Amino acid sequence: MLKKIGLVAVLAALISVVVATTTAWGSAKAPRTASAATASVKCGKTRTIGMAAPITGPASDIGNQQVRWAKYFVKRWNKKHSNARIKVVMGDTQLGVDTAFAVKAAKSFASNSKLLGVVGPAGSQEVVASTTAYKQGGLGFVSGSASRTTLTDGHTDGNRRGYFYRTVPNDAAQGPAVANWMTKKLKWKRVYIIDDQETYSQGLADGVQKILNNRGVTTKRDSISQKDSDFSSAIAKIPSNYQGIYIPWQLAPQAQAFGQQLQAAGKGHIKLFGSDGLFAPGVWKIAGSYDSAFPYNPASKVVQTYVKAHGGNGEFFGLPSYVAAQVVVGAVTRACKAGHGKTTRAAVRKQIAKTNLKTSILGFSVAFQKSGEMKLPAAYGIYQIQKNGSFKRIG
Amino acid sequence: MASTSRQVLGNLAGLGVLLAIWVVYAVYFSPTQGWTFFFQLTVNGIILGSIYALIALGYSLVYGILKLLNFAHGDVYMIGSFIGFGVLTLLGGPLSPAIPVALLVLCMFVAAMLGSGVLGLAIERFAYRPLRDAPRIAPLISALGVAFFLENSVLLLFGADYRNYDGYELISYNGIHLGGDAGVFVSYLGVLVISGALLLMVALIALVRWSRFGKAMRAVSFDREAAAMMGIDPDRVIAITFLVGSALGGAAGVMFGLVYSQIYYLIGFLAGLKGFTAAVVGGIGSIPGAMLGGLLVGLVESWAKGYLNGNVADLVVFGILIGVMLLRPSGLLGTPALQKV
Repeated sequence: MLKKIGLVAVLAALISVVVATTTAWGSAKAPRTASAATASVKCGKTRTIGMAAPITGPASDIGNQQVRWAKYFVKRWNKKHSNARIKVVMGDTQLGVDTAFAVKAAKSFASNSKLLGVVGPAGSQEVVASTTAYKQGGLGFVSGSASRTTLTDGHTDGNRRGYFYRTVPNDAAQGPAVANWMTKKLKWKRVYIIDDQETYSQGLADGVQKILNNRGVTTKRDSISQKDSDFSSAIAKIPSNYQGIYIPWQLAPQAQAFGQQLQAAGKGHIKLFGSDGLFAPGVWKIAGSYDSAFPYNPASKVVQTYVKAHGGNGEFFGLPSYVAAQVVVGAVTRACKAGHGKTTRAAVRKQIAKTNLKTSILGFSVAFQKSGEMKLPAAYGIYQIQKNGSFKRIG
Repeated sequence: MASTSRQVLGNLAGLGVLLAIWVVYAVYFSPTQGWTFFFQLTVNGIILGSIYALIALGYSLVYGILKLLNFAHGDVYMIGSFIGFGVLTLLGGPLSPAIPVALLVLCMFVAAMLGSGVLGLAIERFAYRPLRDAPRIAPLISALGVAFFLENSVLLLFGADYRNYDGYELISYNGIHLGGDAGVFVSYLGVLVISGALLLMVALIALVRWSRFGKAMRAVSFDREAAAMMGIDPDRVIAITFLVGSALGGAAGVMFGLVYSQIYYLIGFLAGLKGFTAAVVGGIGSIPGAMLGGLLVGLVESWAKGYLNGNVADLVVFGILIGVMLLRPSGLLGTPALQKV
């Protein structure tokens, strides 16, 4: 009996120690983030920003495209501004795996008192999960790919106004452009729709399917996973008399593999139609396929230099992240100037809201509404893949 | 004698389960979807299952001899696919191969099998052998560590980008039509995978059943200490077992790349999990069990993806694993562990 009591006492003591330590840790942590949120930061010759992206995990392919484009901007900036250089701290969010990664990255950024603004996160689900951490840290964050429409409506997925901005048009702009092209230009009557089980993909697939059904187009729906490589069974299900397959996916190599397996199954006559997540000339190269994407400017010197430096691979999914970095760096610079060499995260957020890029490599100007959306969201361009793998704008 | 007949009965039961699932699927779904569709899915499943079977053999061989779940095996398979891709690129790539295609494919297989085999040897030597007499949890943790080490090494060395084998461009988009133009289609790549996997499995069975090394392997598996007393070097046998199992994984990696095109540093995780599932379903430690398990997992996955929505395929595969484990804890062709009383 005594032994039991002793054991219970030891356990209770242990629990008390754990609770006390956790509380102490928590209370020590909270003020650190809180003070970082409001602290006045000396700008100096090097300013720090964060970048949240899926650097590892299944979507690391596209995550690293974003990182390369954002770092490309920073590299160009640092070359010209030796007295206001930018240092980028990376945070790995993964994508579609576990949003805890994104929260961890956001908390780490928030507690870094030198950090003034953030590029990212990439996915809408990661934006939703990490908003509280960014708000607690007072950080403004600009995503180059989170396109879920409800992120900016102020209520459905939580309110992040004044903190969250995006340099990519939302899904509501892309879906109608795709559906219009399918029905008005291509005159498709039967469309097979396959999402990749990610929020981005499901949102677009739902939107396009709804419009198509309203216009009397017959649709069938299926789903694959971003981890899938064998599409043979999904392809076997697709009726040969369907005219198009809509694949709003994020992994261009997956679309390429799907296209090849489709061709091998004798269904190469059914045309593929992708979304901006698949805008990867040279990677997805099934000739004759269609794709919707923001109308970037291929003649831009910035774009051409990047493409040349990456062996002809434009990795265009990362383009909006270049602009997101441009927005954050611009805001930090203006805030530092206004504060005469000192600034705060709140001042940087104000400057993000005031962004006014007359032109951008995306092919349109960038300024924000209060909701965090761009003021003039560009009309999506429609591209067709040519025999040499290039994407030709056709609409 | 009794154990032999029990094993035969077990084998028959395993085949019976396979057949029953087939019949249920066929009878229930085929009237609405058509038999061609069913057989097409079956062919797709056999191709996928052949790859799983090769991976499962690697798990089973190592488990059979060491009672170790080598969780790094999925990543050895991934490395094999990267070696195959490296050879493909070095020899001109899929669009303009510098040597005849058949020779190129052979080089890819040989290099991947050798490379993965040597990697398996190294893993055994440095990650498992020092823990041979440690509690069983230690090599398991070591295996997980090796898996992460391999994944992250490939990430650091080659980046996170996907690589595309373009296997159909390399070999052919064509194939065999069974039952006319509207019948079941088997691509030449599919034929290559099925026949290649069969060849390797037959070679493995021959090695284990009829070679001197196979005898030593079985002896070490049965009783390592007694085998050592009979003059067999268990360390050498275990090392060669790793070499053989890993080489099969490497071959599976190349087959996967050729048929399903895209490879990247994380492909080993899910494939390893499926291969492991196949080994357990078939009866871990049993070579025919691994083959049957691989085939079964491939078929079920293919049927599930074909008849149901794609997002429930894994649910069905792993649901079957639970079902088989509940009905036959030692797997379809596994023999129950004897307990000394």
